[in-house]
Amino acid sequence: MTGRGTGLLGACAGLAIIAGGAFAQEARTITVATHYSAEQMAPLLACFDAYEAEHPGVTVEHQETAYGDFLQTILTSRVGGTAPDILNVYSVWVPQLAGAGALEPPPAEIAEFIQSGYSPATIGAATVDGQLWGIPTELSIYALVYNKALLEQAGYAEPPRTWAELREIAEKITRTNDQGNIDVGGYAYGTTVAEGVHPFYAQMFAAGVPPFSEDGRSTNLTSPEAIRILDEQAALFRDGVTSNAIAVDNFASGAVAMQVSANWNKSGWQDAFGDQFESTVGVAPIPTDGPGGTMLYSFLWAVDSTSDVKEDAWDLLRYLSEPREAGLSCTGEAMQGMGAFAGGNADLAAMTEGADAFDRAYIEEVTSGRAVTQPNVWQASEVDRILRGYIDMAWSGSMTAEEALTAADAEIQAILAEQP
Amino acid sequence: MRRLLSSKAAAPWLFLGPAILFALVFVLLPVGFAAYISLTDWDSLSPPRWVGLGNYRYLLTTDPVFLRTLWQTLLFALGALILGVPLALGLAFAFSRSRHQAAWRVAYTLPMVTNIVAIGFIFTFVFRQTDGALNRLLALFGLPGPGWLTDPSLTLLSATLVFVWMELGRNMLLFAAGLTSIDESYYEAAKLDGAGTWQLFRFVTLPLLRPTILFVVLTGFISGMSYFTLMLVLFPGTQGGPGRAALTTGQYMYQMAFEDLRMGRASAVSYVLFALVFVATLVQVRLLRRGGLEQT
Repeated sequence: MTGRGTGLLGACAGLAIIAGGAFAQEARTITVATHYSAEQMAPLLACFDAYEAEHPGVTVEHQETAYGDFLQTILTSRVGGTAPDILNVYSVWVPQLAGAGALEPPPAEIAEFIQSGYSPATIGAATVDGQLWGIPTELSIYALVYNKALLEQAGYAEPPRTWAELREIAEKITRTNDQGNIDVGGYAYGTTVAEGVHPFYAQMFAAGVPPFSEDGRSTNLTSPEAIRILDEQAALFRDGVTSNAIAVDNFASGAVAMQVSANWNKSGWQDAFGDQFESTVGVAPIPTDGPGGTMLYSFLWAVDSTSDVKEDAWDLLRYLSEPREAGLSCTGEAMQGMGAFAGGNADLAAMTEGADAFDRAYIEEVTSGRAVTQPNVWQASEVDRILRGYIDMAWSGSMTAEEALTAADAEIQAILAEQP
Repeated sequence: MRRLLSSKAAAPWLFLGPAILFALVFVLLPVGFAAYISLTDWDSLSPPRWVGLGNYRYLLTTDPVFLRTLWQTLLFALGALILGVPLALGLAFAFSRSRHQAAWRVAYTLPMVTNIVAIGFIFTFVFRQTDGALNRLLALFGLPGPGWLTDPSLTLLSATLVFVWMELGRNMLLFAAGLTSIDESYYEAAKLDGAGTWQLFRFVTLPLLRPTILFVVLTGFISGMSYFTLMLVLFPGTQGGPGRAALTTGQYMYQMAFEDLRMGRASAVSYVLFALVFVATLVQVRLLRRGGLEQT
């Protein structure tokens, strides 16, 4: 082979190696797992396409998993070595996932991006023991939701500000049928764990007593405020103002006057009330004799610790979370489409601009600082389930509020003592 | 090697090989792994930590919910048998002597082929407290309308009744098959001796049907002891209805494993449940086999 031929072959080989190397370096797939449907994900899927166009060789794939199966699916996929790179996780799952080393802490620049662009309560939802674990996405905030028409019919133009007022209004509104069952409930709770526990936590925050200590190692469930709150709730059942048969789901049919609910219910109520939504559905702070306040929880974008494209994953997440010229970030646009709130201050500000009274009332709870993060305690979902079990006991009258909360406290303290 | 493979001794193993391999991988391995896991503290994310009998000790001495779920599960399984088996047997016997047997069988076996979610929805509308079909019917007679799905004292009964309805067709089919296998000459002989319908049933049908009854009772009990799908549909999003009143051990175990990530404790629950079902099954076999078909 001549020198020229050898040189040409070498050049070709070199090019091939460089091209191959470049291809190997750039052909990367980022898998994003969420509990959102394709319809809900539409704005984010469009952003995935835009990101792919701006980053040749990068492919972003969405994995949809039902909310109820989300944690199990993640666990199974981790065991099988096929874990998604990005997870949209509920904040209370973070202590266990992080404790088991399943999550990757955000790099310094992402942490800085979050600290400068999100409210303290929102950051708190993504933080465990001072360590930030991801970028907050969907905020759920609790407030009193009331049916203006039912209150007006009972002679009340304003929502209650204290629990005594709430009880008085609820009593006047409650109607029963010929069998003594409630047709229209003055107040309603829900059947799920969250629908019982979250309003209770929200009422505790409103009373100025957080349900758990700041370090998450003990509870305030046996405090006088907690016992009084549960006793007042049980009194609504005892006195026939509410029952297990009239639940928060009945609000959409106009059979419930008041309840403590999260903002994500909005789209369902809009569908139910149609044109009458604004004139029917009102939102107010949680009634209390305390200093006031409520609870919020968040989902967050997190990166799996076993991902081999961590850097790209964080880059994509920043891309999805940064405000755009149109105002909302990609995540913000998706949240708005679902009737939910995004975590970023810029998104919240953009959402407030065009917000209706319903949204403004909820956003006000965050921007005013009244909303406090749901504590990301150890085994949070188990803790909530235990508490819900005892709340039910108090509601049904099989235990007093004090007995129920003392028993719940003992079980929950034992679980909190397990944490490292 | 070839000689070994073609030998008579190897033939059974060759034929049984796939089945044995299947049982090893999908039965023995998981059962053994679960036994090991039940002696550890494992969240499926980090390596298991050996705790010996700690999980069993916790379940049997500390956990305030576990023993309650066992009791509720036992009530559910036995309730379904006590109500369901005589009903299915009675209906199968009646239909075996009626016209249009096939039409009746189809009507009663429809629940078997109906989706559990659809069944749950239908019975939610039937049992709803304020405007459910059952309470509206009771209202016509001036009777009160209980909270079938919302009153903790009634939820387990409601779930049991729906389960009986769901299982009725299957049990009827089994009994119908058992009835057709009884030789008509026994009935003819009894009739010649002057036996009436009740005596035919009591002294001919029941003794000859014991193997079928044993099968129905055993499979019904085992399925009732591990059942919770219906509860998930009848009491969605809850922990087995208000106040955990219809929470069965199966559902509690599922929550432990997949919501609380307590795989070790959940495995221990499965072994306790297995032990209970095993002992109960042995007792049933002894009781029902005594004086059964073998001795007739």
